Amino acid sequence: MYTGPSIQIENVTKRYKSAQEDSLSHVNLQINEADVYGLLGPNGAGKTTLISILCGIIPPSEGNISYYIGGVGISGNERKSRMGFVPQEYAFYQELTPRQNLDYFGAMYNLSKADLSVRIDALLYELGLTKVADKEVSTFSGGMKRRVNLAIGLIHKPAILFLDEPTVGVDVQSKNAIIKYLEEINRAGTTIVYTSHHMSEAEEFCNRIALIDHGKVVAEGGMNELLTKNDASSLQDLFIKLTGEEYRD
Amino acid sequence: MFKIFSSIRKEFFLLVSDKVGLALMFVMPLLLVFIITIIQDSAYKIVNENEIPMLVVNHDEGNQGNKLLDLLITSRLFKIDTLNALPEKALKKELLARGKMIALYIPPNFTNGLESNTGEISHMMMRDLGLEADSASVKTAKMPSLSFYHDPVLQENYSASVMGVVDSYLGMIEKSMMIDRIYKDMEIGAKSENLNQKMAVNRVKINQIVATNSNSVAVPNSTQHNVPAWTIFAMFFMVVSLGSNIVKERVNGSFLRLKTMPTSFMLVMFSKMVVYVLVAILQVALTFSIGVWILPKIGLPELTIPTNFPAFAAVVLISSMAAVSYALLIGSWAKTQEQANGFGAISIIIFGAIGGILVPAFVMPEYMQFASNFSPLHWCLEGFYILFLKGGSWNELRWVMLFLGVFILICQLCTYIKLRIEKII
Repeated sequence: MYTGPSIQIENVTKRYKSAQEDSLSHVNLQINEADVYGLLGPNGAGKTTLISILCGIIPPSEGNISYYIGGVGISGNERKSRMGFVPQEYAFYQELTPRQNLDYFGAMYNLSKADLSVRIDALLYELGLTKVADKEVSTFSGGMKRRVNLAIGLIHKPAILFLDEPTVGVDVQSKNAIIKYLEEINRAGTTIVYTSHHMSEAEEFCNRIALIDHGKVVAEGGMNELLTKNDASSLQDLFIKLTGEEYRD
Repeated sequence: MFKIFSSIRKEFFLLVSDKVGLALMFVMPLLLVFIITIIQDSAYKIVNENEIPMLVVNHDEGNQGNKLLDLLITSRLFKIDTLNALPEKALKKELLARGKMIALYIPPNFTNGLESNTGEISHMMMRDLGLEADSASVKTAKMPSLSFYHDPVLQENYSASVMGVVDSYLGMIEKSMMIDRIYKDMEIGAKSENLNQKMAVNRVKINQIVATNSNSVAVPNSTQHNVPAWTIFAMFFMVVSLGSNIVKERVNGSFLRLKTMPTSFMLVMFSKMVVYVLVAILQVALTFSIGVWILPKIGLPELTIPTNFPAFAAVVLISSMAAVSYALLIGSWAKTQEQANGFGAISIIIFGAIGGILVPAFVMPEYMQFASNFSPLHWCLEGFYILFLKGGSWNELRWVMLFLGVFILICQLCTYIKLRIEKII
C-alpha cells in the first residue's frame, strides 16, 4: 500500500478580517495516506479553522495545501469528489429521512442513481440505521443523528475523510459504533483527519497527532513517539503538559 | 440531470414537511379571498350596480311627491323602500335600524308649495309680457324643502352625488309644472304636453365609455380585486416558509457542507426557485379557479379571466419570481428563523397595505399612492389589473415587467452578496 503524503500543508496562516491575531500561524504538516491523524488542542486553538481550510470551506490567508491519492496530485472538483467532510453540527435536513438526506447529498457527489441506491442501503445497515431509514431525522436521538451526519460524509466512499468532533454528545454505544466503522474504513485505505476533545478516544484511534495551541503546532508526530519524548503517561497528560492547566473559554 | 432532479426533489420534500408553511401558502389565500370578497361585495355593488338602498317617506298631500318617487324608481339608481306611515321624527331611528344608508322625506306641502311657486313665476312672466294675469289665482305657500338623511359613515362626495340625482329630478318636475302653469294662464293649457315631451327628449346626451383596450369590459368588483390581490399576498407570504428554510440551512451548516462537494451553489438556488415558483403558480391556479367556479355559486361575482393568455402567464411568472426572490433575500439576511418569519411577514403586510392589496391604491391619499410605487405587490397587482380590467397589451405591461425585473435583480444580487460575505458561495 502507498504510504506517501495524502495532504501536504505548507506554511498555512489564517487571520480573519476583524481579528488582531492569527487564528493559524505558519502551520506545516504532512498527513500520510491511511493515517488516522488527530488535530488536537484546547478550545479556540485553531483546530476547526484548520479543518475548514483543509476542506476548502475557507481559504488560507497565506500558504499552500496539496492533496494526493496514490502519489498523484488532485485538485478542483476531483479533490472534492475524493474528499468527505463530517462537520461538528448536524449539517443536514432534520425534516427529511436518512434515506432522503443520503439521496440528496449522494447526488451532489455525482453518484449515479443505481450506485447511490446500493450505497445507501449498505451505509444504513453498517451504521445501524436500516430500521429508521424512512423516519424523520428530527425524531432521532443525538447518537442516531451523529451516525446520519457521518453517513452523509461517507456516501461517496471518500479517500480522505475530515471529521470535526464526530462523537461529541453521543452515548457509549453510538460512539463505539462510529469509531469501529471509522477504523474499518481506515483499514481499507481511507485517510482520516480528526479533531476531538476526547483524549482517551484520540489516543486509541489516532496513529499520529498534531497538538495545536494559539494557532501554532506545539507538537507533532506518532502517538508513542510523542508520549516518550515528552515523558507523558497518556495523551491527556501530554495535552496538559504542553497546553497548561488554564481555562480556555 | 440526476443532480438537478435530486436537488428539486429535496426542496419538494422540505416543502411538504412544513405543514404550517403549506397551510399559510394555500389555505390562507382561500380564506382571505372568501372572507374579504364577501365583506367587500356589498360595497362594490353599491358603487357598480347603481342600486342604492333608499328609504322614502312620502307625506305629500298632492301628486308631485308620487311623481318624484316614480322618477327615482324608474331611474334604476335606487332600490326604494317606501314607508309612508312613518312620522318624520322617527325616520332617523328607522334608517339606522333598517341598515339603510340613505332616506328621503317628502313633506305634506310638497305639491302645494311647488304649485304656489310656479303660479308666482307665471304671474310675473304674464305681467312682464303685458298680458293680463289674474292675481287672485296665485296662491301663496311656502317653498317646500325635502329632507335627505344619511348614515354618518357615508362619505360626503357619495351623499352629495345622491342629492345631485334627487335635485335633477326635482328640476324636471319644476320645469314641467312651470310649462303647464304658463300655458294654462295663457289659456292654451292643452298644448303644454307637446312642449313638455320635447323638452324631456331634447336633452344633451352623455355617452359613457369604459376606457379599456379590448372589447370585453370586465366590471371592477370585489372578485376582480380580491382574487388577484390575495393571491399575490399569499405568493409573497411564502417568505415565512422559504425564508426560514434558508436560515436553517445557513445556520446548521448544510450550505457550508455543500461547499465541500463537487457541485455549484447555484443549483441549490435554482432548485428553490423552481419549486417555489411552481408553488406560486399552483396558488394562482387554485385561487383563480375558486374565483371562476366557486364564488359565483355562493352569489359572488365571477372572476373574468383575461383573453391575452400569454401576457397573463408572463405576469403570473414574473410575480412568482419576485415573491421567491424576496424570500431568498430575507432568508439570506435574517440571522434567525424568528427574524425571517417576523420581519418577512410584517414586511409583506406593509407592502400589501401600501401596495393596494388591502384597499385599492386609487382611494389612498396622493402621497400613499406615490409610496405604493415602492411595493412589489403593487406592481404585481397592477399587472393583473391591466390584464383583467383594462384588457391591456404587452406594451402596457412594460412598466410592470421593468419594475418587477429590477426588483428581482436587486433581491438576487443582495442574496448573492450576503452568501459571499458568509463564504457560502
